Amino acid sequence: MYISALPREERQDRRPLLKRIAHAAEPYLYSAPALVLIAAVMLVPLIVGISYAFRDIQLLNPFSGGFVGLEHFRTLANDQAFYRALRNTLWWTGTSVFLQFALGLILALLLDKPFYGRGLAQALVFLPWAVPTFLAGLNWAWLFNPVIGPIPHWLHALGIMSEPHNILADPQLAMWGPIIANVWWGIPFFAITLLAALQAIPRDLYEAASIDGAGPVQRFMSITLPFLAPTIAITILLRTVWISNFADLIIVMTNGGPADRTQIVASYIFTQAFKRLDFGYASAIALVLLVLLLAYSMLIVLLRQTLLNKD
Amino acid sequence: MASIDIKSVRKNYGHFPVLHGVDLTIRDGEFIVLVGPSGCGKSTLLRMIAGLEEVTSGEIRIAGNRVNELAPKDRDIAMVFQSYALYPHMSVADNMSYSLKLRKTAKEKIASAVGNAASKLGLDPLLERRPKALSGGQRQRVAMGRAIVRQPKAFLFDEPLSNLDARLREQMRAEIKKLHADLKATSIYVTHDQIEAMTLADRIVAMHGGIVQQVGSPLELYDRPANLFVAGFIGSPGMNFLEGRYRLSGDHADVELVDGTLIPIAPRPSLEPGGRVTLGIRPEHVVMGGTAGMEASVDLVEPTGFGIILHLSLHDLPFKVFTLDRDALKAGPKVRVEFPGKHLHLFDEAGNRVE
Repeated sequence: MYISALPREERQDRRPLLKRIAHAAEPYLYSAPALVLIAAVMLVPLIVGISYAFRDIQLLNPFSGGFVGLEHFRTLANDQAFYRALRNTLWWTGTSVFLQFALGLILALLLDKPFYGRGLAQALVFLPWAVPTFLAGLNWAWLFNPVIGPIPHWLHALGIMSEPHNILADPQLAMWGPIIANVWWGIPFFAITLLAALQAIPRDLYEAASIDGAGPVQRFMSITLPFLAPTIAITILLRTVWISNFADLIIVMTNGGPADRTQIVASYIFTQAFKRLDFGYASAIALVLLVLLLAYSMLIVLLRQTLLNKD
Repeated sequence: MASIDIKSVRKNYGHFPVLHGVDLTIRDGEFIVLVGPSGCGKSTLLRMIAGLEEVTSGEIRIAGNRVNELAPKDRDIAMVFQSYALYPHMSVADNMSYSLKLRKTAKEKIASAVGNAASKLGLDPLLERRPKALSGGQRQRVAMGRAIVRQPKAFLFDEPLSNLDARLREQMRAEIKKLHADLKATSIYVTHDQIEAMTLADRIVAMHGGIVQQVGSPLELYDRPANLFVAGFIGSPGMNFLEGRYRLSGDHADVELVDGTLIPIAPRPSLEPGGRVTLGIRPEHVVMGGTAGMEASVDLVEPTGFGIILHLSLHDLPFKVFTLDRDALKAGPKVRVEFPGKHLHLFDEAGNRVE
């Protein structure tokens, strides 16, 4: 019987070359299907899309397609419609996220307390999330329409409105239409995630705090909020990115109007790409939005890390 | 510090009663242990004193004042939880000073109170740490520290040592006892561990099925258990019970066991001759190795190091003996057991002690 006295590495060298290559490649081969799939469905479209931003691509112009360098970005820098869309995006995203979060948190706190019929209430509260956004948009557009919807008449009856008219047609108020629809549709997301986080807080912490002398507000500030903070940070990050990209409701309800008062960057991209069929310029705007959102995400991720590292 | 009076306190969850009228007077500075199996209502009673559960009926008074309607924070009590319930995002010092800060105590006062408590519990080097950087025993100490900084009227402990390993439990038990000797604070301590109950208590309250079974000093419960439940619950290994009938012949009384064996006992005038009784004897009081007594077969021998527990079958019923005699390890398949009369407990048909 042959017993090797050589170190293990040198013994391995005695194996045939092919076998050694196969051995070294083994982990890469196992992960290859997933990597290839990710590259094909994520990276390729991303790179193609980014490349459009530097090319002149207009569907109606058969001679387009050439490389134009930073031409689109130079145009964009002087595009007043883009700046208005950017301001509208901030207003739309900020207001929607804040209201969704605030109302979602209140809802989660209410649903966290035991009461008769809580199971049914929880199920009902989460229903808007299941409604397709286009349907939600149409529904709210009709609700705001004085011809078929009740809301303008109610506002008139309450004396808030001088006559029942459509706020979606009012340049000063139009943005509130999609924002209200968005808040209605998005509250369940915050309610679900915050409720889950609330229910993970040990009950005896509240009992200990109430014995220590904390009232409801102090218990909320010193137990509930610190426990929810990481969840709040991550959900607000996710929703902000989603909502600033979320043009469905605006397209359905106002289509950016009246007079571009509800045009956000995402709907502006949609208009450029699918109405004016200028894919190159639309890609350039999309790239700017991507960079802005990436910067924002990094900021929130850093904030969350510092919050978590404090412990 | 204060006395606590509990007057016919009941608790129902819906229509389901968990406490059937508890009466208890706790003197100022007394250490009371509520002991009983899971679901006996001991924790519910403690949480009612703390104000975490509503009182269905009856009255709780702390230092003479009715507290039924008071919120926990207005009762001036401190509680140590089984899970410690430390605030995870606060340092040890903040955990301990939280209650004082809420009461708007002066900064210097807080610092000295926390400092005193920390040095008493050996927490000085840990004050800046967070609970998750502490071991179980250290967390337990912080929970105690949080309770003592406030100098409340009473301390409530809800199975505070259950999450610790055996060695640490022993150590913390001694520390709690020392702390109580030092602070002389009225304390109510809930546990299912009868060793903790025996070692810590001035008085034990044994509970079962939402009813107080016996209140007394640890040795009273051990030596003169009021009923079969207390007799079986206090002591480890548990007391042996033998069923039989009370026989009286002249001035001489016996218990006749099922196989006809007569065990002589002192006459109990309150018992009817011929009535069913239960005879109890603790495993450590059984005498083995004589030629007299009853024969039992040995099922199992458990050496504990300190002594030996023998699991026997007597009349086909399990019977335990605890002995310090190492020769018991070599016991044959059969042993003879005798019951010294002064260590016998007698219970009537209803399970109550008969003297």
